[in-house]
Amino acid sequence: MLIALSMLIFLLLRLTPGDPIDAYIDPNIPMSPAQLTELRSQLGLDRPLPVQYLAWLREALSGNLGRSIQRMDQPVLSLVLSRIGPTVLLMGTALAIAIVAGITTGVISAVRRNSPADLSFSVLALVGISSPAFLSALVGLYVFAVRLNWAPSGGMLTPGAAFSVSDLLHHLVLPAALLSIAQAALVMRYMRASMLEVLNQDYVRTARAKGVAEFWVIAKHALRNALLPVVTLIGSTIGLAIGGAIFIESVFNWPGMGLLLVSAVETRDYPVIMGATLIIGGCVIVVNLLTDITYAVIDPRIKVG
Amino acid sequence: MKLRMMASALAISVALAATGGLCTAPARAATLSGGFDVGPGGFQGNFNPLAATSGFTWLSIYFEPLVTYDEKLQKVVGVLADSYEVSPDQLSYTFKLTDAKWHDGKPFTAKDAKFTLGLAMDAKSGSVLAARLKAIASVEAPDDRTLVVKLSAPSASTLDTLTKVMMLPEHALASIPVDQLAKNSWWSTTPIGTGPFKFTKYVTDQYVELAANTEYRGGKPALERLINRYFANPAAAIAALRAGEIQFTYVDSNDVSTFKGDEAFKVIEGDSFVVNYLGFNHESPIWKDVRVRKALMHAINRDAIITSLYGGAAKPANCAYVADQLLPPGIDTYAYDPEKAKQLLAEAGWAQINGDKPITLLTYYTTPLATNVLAAVQAMLAQVGINIVPRAVDTPTYNSIVLNPKPDIAQFQLVYAGLQNGPDAGSINVGLNEKQIPPAGPNVVRARMPELNTALDTALAEPDASKRDARFQEVCKVMNASLPWATMWVANRYGVVSSKLKDFVWTPAPGGGPYAAHPEKWSIGE
Repeated sequence: MLIALSMLIFLLLRLTPGDPIDAYIDPNIPMSPAQLTELRSQLGLDRPLPVQYLAWLREALSGNLGRSIQRMDQPVLSLVLSRIGPTVLLMGTALAIAIVAGITTGVISAVRRNSPADLSFSVLALVGISSPAFLSALVGLYVFAVRLNWAPSGGMLTPGAAFSVSDLLHHLVLPAALLSIAQAALVMRYMRASMLEVLNQDYVRTARAKGVAEFWVIAKHALRNALLPVVTLIGSTIGLAIGGAIFIESVFNWPGMGLLLVSAVETRDYPVIMGATLIIGGCVIVVNLLTDITYAVIDPRIKVG
Repeated sequence: MKLRMMASALAISVALAATGGLCTAPARAATLSGGFDVGPGGFQGNFNPLAATSGFTWLSIYFEPLVTYDEKLQKVVGVLADSYEVSPDQLSYTFKLTDAKWHDGKPFTAKDAKFTLGLAMDAKSGSVLAARLKAIASVEAPDDRTLVVKLSAPSASTLDTLTKVMMLPEHALASIPVDQLAKNSWWSTTPIGTGPFKFTKYVTDQYVELAANTEYRGGKPALERLINRYFANPAAAIAALRAGEIQFTYVDSNDVSTFKGDEAFKVIEGDSFVVNYLGFNHESPIWKDVRVRKALMHAINRDAIITSLYGGAAKPANCAYVADQLLPPGIDTYAYDPEKAKQLLAEAGWAQINGDKPITLLTYYTTPLATNVLAAVQAMLAQVGINIVPRAVDTPTYNSIVLNPKPDIAQFQLVYAGLQNGPDAGSINVGLNEKQIPPAGPNVVRARMPELNTALDTALAEPDASKRDARFQEVCKVMNASLPWATMWVANRYGVVSSKLKDFVWTPAPGGGPYAAHPEKWSIGE
């Protein structure tokens, strides 16, 4: 699957107009044709496409993803690996916020169906789903960083300051909260629908008839069963979260995979784009696998293997 | 929009309120943070001055050239050269070097200058200046304080090009093979220059930090540190400026009005030295008749666009120049006159040449301002029967189309672009001289106008500095009559700086300069 993905990305890149040299040229500073030819030759861009791809694939299979064209020849693998941490931190925090907020509000909405709380949460969820990441990022930046000055406008740490966890958290909370909006809204809606369905099941009615306290009916009998479709949903929204992270990282200058990918695309840094998409693709596959495993843990009827 | 904003605010306000008091950015006295590489003059992530097509505002804080422009970009002044002399035949430049030290304490000598020029002239080093320095025949260092540069032919652009050649330490770089130099990590880890600040660290894609060079020959800098924050776009830099995290950044002209009248900030305005034009693809048959090209000039109400979209901060250009000393008397001002445009088109037989068939206008300008400008131009041209369709693409895409040696004319019958027109008036040569048609150079409109070539070649080779303006007036005159481009305007560019900064010098120079900014004098008041 990863080989197919790499082939697709390679073809799409070569179909995109402009190459790394085109990204580098300044109209005010002419370079001689010989110099341009030499630069393209050094990068191997003058070779036939199948040869270029097979050369890349051969190296990639041995763990060498090549070297960045625009970043002074840095190895792509170490460049990409250094960006995974910040992105995982951002997406993980956003996911945690989305799960806690989405499940809590979803359960409250279902239990207090048609109440003002249910209506409020449903409206908020609708707005959250309808808000693209680039819009919520810009609005959030303006409101919370510029107007209210509650959070820094960008970066992961205060420039020039010594590392501290509180400084990191201070920089993390706004982009993570904004990234979580769409996911939290989706989780809330699924949770509400799933919970409503479960609350009408016979075993819930039986539990109530046996005199079990309402809190335990919801927490022990209804919630666990209602979580099943939500877990699947969370796994399948990782792709959505990666798309959102690319916007959020660009707006907040968060030094993760998204920012790396955007700058690589702008400069047509082919090896970095290939390496980053390959790693992201691998991560999506792993997350989907973890989702399946989690599903089996929650639902004893499903067995792994 | 309001509803979404409120909803977003509600959704995260609780989370933020919980952490809002955790930590605030520590106040750092004597540290200036800025977006020095934001905007068209910046080059984030480039540390190699040999490969720098821009970004000189920042690079020239820790590296220094022999000569630079003064802060008004009007004359060349010495930096590492105390003085310089040009021989009467304009073939020999003799620089007397100042007594300076590298950041590691070793002395800067003429040997370093010779070594640097050798690298700058050698394309294998990755130098983007090699083609512009090809007029240099030899470089000699007769003693530690004298450098003699000899040219094979007079070149009026020599000093301008030398302002971009940052001196490099031979003792640190000589051991690196020339063809490996551009890829070496020295540039972003341990570079040393002679400037008032020393490189201390680069946090990838986040910021670059410099510390004061307390041994600087011009005196100990007032600031302790300088931080160059990286931003993905100017809007993010503006947010950081408003939040008080940085004290300076470039801003797009449509954002300037939000800072004017705010006492916390000062707006710096200056000539962009970039002429914007609609470039006719001269390989397309539809522009062969000069009456058609003149009709375009008359059909576009440049004054209205400048007033309404640029807020008056641009000068209409009737050739590549707007500076008074470069404008000859009596050139056509191409006043807005749609009826005359229609008449010229009718005389040229526009209905048969193209009629209302769509004409692709290619541009790399993707800002909201450019989008509005092109929408206005499209509407004005439609009124006289010219149907243009703007197409904005990113720079690599633009370059791949227009610099292709075998271009597809249909993809860019017209371009909307900009070219540097100063401080060296000869800068426009690369965009108009027939010798610069791709792949040789960036004459993307493929202008083949013998009279213009002669005027440009004569101006560039003029050995007498007192006659140079007159030569470029001739270039202007030819351009005005033959219209290789429909020249539009030269707009101003802007920076915004905290009112607390003192003696801060910044000017929107093409490529970020360099110019005499004297960073050692910058300070922050209370």
